[in-house]
Amino acid sequence: MARIKKILQFFIPPPNWRIPVIILTGAFFGIAAYAFIVSNAVSYMSDDPATCVNCHVMGPQYATWFHSSHREHATCNDCHTPQDNLIKQYYFKATDGLRHATIFTLNTTPEPIRMHEAGQRVVQANCQRCHDHTNQFVTSGHVTYDHVQEGKGKMCWDCHRDVPHGTVRSAASAPNATVPVPKSPMPEWLRNLTDR
Amino acid sequence: MSTISDSIKNRPWIGWVLFFGTMIIVFLLGVLTYTIIENRTAGQFAYVSTTDLDPLEPRAEAWGRYFPRQFNTYAQMADTSFQSKHLGSQRRDLLDQNPRMVILFAGYGFSRDYNSARGHTYSVQDVRETLRTGAPMEAGDGPMPATCWTCKSPDVVRLMDEVGVAEFYSMKLSETGHEIANPINCATCHEADDMSLKAPLPALSETFARLGRDIETASHQEMRSLTCAQCHVEYYFGEDNYLVFPWDEGMKAEDMAKYFDDRGFADWIHPLSRAPMIKAQHPDYEVFTTGIHYERGVSCSDCHMPYKTEGGMKFTDHQIQSPLNNIAASCQTCHRQSEAELIRNVYDRQDMVYEVRIKLEDALVAAHLEAEFAWNMGATEQQMSEALHLIRHAQWRWDYAAATHGGSFHSPLELTRTIGDGLDMAHQARRKIATVLAEMGHIGEPDLPDVSTKQLAQEYIGIDLEELRASKDKFLEEIVPEWLRQTAERHERWEINRRSDEVEPGNYIYPGD
Repeated sequence: MARIKKILQFFIPPPNWRIPVIILTGAFFGIAAYAFIVSNAVSYMSDDPATCVNCHVMGPQYATWFHSSHREHATCNDCHTPQDNLIKQYYFKATDGLRHATIFTLNTTPEPIRMHEAGQRVVQANCQRCHDHTNQFVTSGHVTYDHVQEGKGKMCWDCHRDVPHGTVRSAASAPNATVPVPKSPMPEWLRNLTDR
Repeated sequence: MSTISDSIKNRPWIGWVLFFGTMIIVFLLGVLTYTIIENRTAGQFAYVSTTDLDPLEPRAEAWGRYFPRQFNTYAQMADTSFQSKHLGSQRRDLLDQNPRMVILFAGYGFSRDYNSARGHTYSVQDVRETLRTGAPMEAGDGPMPATCWTCKSPDVVRLMDEVGVAEFYSMKLSETGHEIANPINCATCHEADDMSLKAPLPALSETFARLGRDIETASHQEMRSLTCAQCHVEYYFGEDNYLVFPWDEGMKAEDMAKYFDDRGFADWIHPLSRAPMIKAQHPDYEVFTTGIHYERGVSCSDCHMPYKTEGGMKFTDHQIQSPLNNIAASCQTCHRQSEAELIRNVYDRQDMVYEVRIKLEDALVAAHLEAEFAWNMGATEQQMSEALHLIRHAQWRWDYAAATHGGSFHSPLELTRTIGDGLDMAHQARRKIATVLAEMGHIGEPDLPDVSTKQLAQEYIGIDLEELRASKDKFLEEIVPEWLRQTAERHERWEINRRSDEVEPGNYIYPGD
């Protein structure tokens, strides 16, 4: 207890600074809370595919998955995040998510969007994880990303080209698809007030 | 450990650093939340139609106010820096690069001046500047009809609406120079109210109607090619310079040759060989429809105007250009190969088609000059007629392949077939001429002039480039500024975002008025 008190005391500003500091701290927490809400931060803890269209640039990926047979059995995370343990999964989600968020915020989304190396490793492993049973007697079912780099095999999707997002990539695949993008963050009562 | 409070008491600047530091962090957080909100909102309003544009609004800037992303990419066509192995987006003197074409086009405008095409934003400017359009110092002067403007500007549709289609075609290029000002832009392909695709230039829909097809029934994906096919096709000027696409017998080289033969049509008589020639324009759409990409349902826009995203907004890239300048979005949307491999695949096809095309060119240059040699020796029309018919057809096939943009990639097989056909005809023609020469007692190679450079070739066929250039410069200095002044005056009269003209109302004012 004494320790906490000491730490708190460390941060307490001199008396004549208190008012501006209180106001700025309030502003900081207020805007941080706002950012937390409008960015749907909580949704990133879930496995709901709709989370991926928080950034609507992923709309075509969502739409093509939604019309594929994988929809019934696998969410985005089932294939695109590591499934060996929770820590690895959330670490991957965090690093990859921050990378995506940075690209999206800086408006530097590439066209077409393609998987980078880490993503390819994960997806390849996940193909093999679920399709283990059918592949156990097929050598190509055990090829890893590193094997492919050494020319000792192909990635699953080098042959299964249309699984699950179709052969055409990115925006060109489903340019006008309707996907569950986030609704307006404005509460309805406020909109009703301002619409008048 | 001293507290912050103590530190600040001793050194007040620490307090100020903390204060402004927090302010900057809060500011940046604000910017972040703003971009999140903006991107979210953009997603909800990906496309909302809010225009009150005149359907015949010819100014790209007026449309651009509503569609800034499309407009910005459109304006990037002004960039002419891209160069591929064989062409690119800059203006290149093709006659200098390939002097054979001076002989092939002798007696026709293209032997004076033939440049590679630049982007759409240059369409009007390049027509004014080329030596082919002459230097008309008075309205009504000059070699070219107003029909030449047809594909170059949305002002044409506006003018057709005002004076009538046939009436427009029957005018002279120089009579309408002050009216045609805006280069190919939005109105050439889009409806003003909902931005759906349309083909307002009459020749395509008229041709479709003649062949029993209704362009209104074309799907959106078909329209993504047909808007281009308004202009990127083979055409000719019929009666009273009325623009016609010669597709009645089919769209292959031999089909269109039959169409022209049946009508006894010739663009010009070649002054050296005296063969009745047909000039191919740029049968881009026709050649594309024989290629594998068309077969698989790919449209022009899929590769030349790939999708692009900017923040949350998805839109088509309106910088219409060679896909070689944007392999990622154009090719790799469907093809998984590396960029280097895809470029090599394109260049291989281009190189191979070019290789046989040049053989045909050499044979044709020789055929024209040998025919001239035979005429000079006193050959009769009866002796020459077969050879001349073959030259006409061989050069038409060469031009069909040479004038089409990107044809050697769009359909390498069809083009090599067409060129092969032409090569056979050109050599048949040369054999006939050799026989004629033998009948007149000349054995062995005829003595042919040196036409190996642009200058030598142009001198040989009697083109005075200096004089042409001088009169063109005079025209550009004296007449064009007057055209531009009248255009600026007209634009001044219109509202900034909606054309409405009180001085010259016409019958095309936006129906909402």
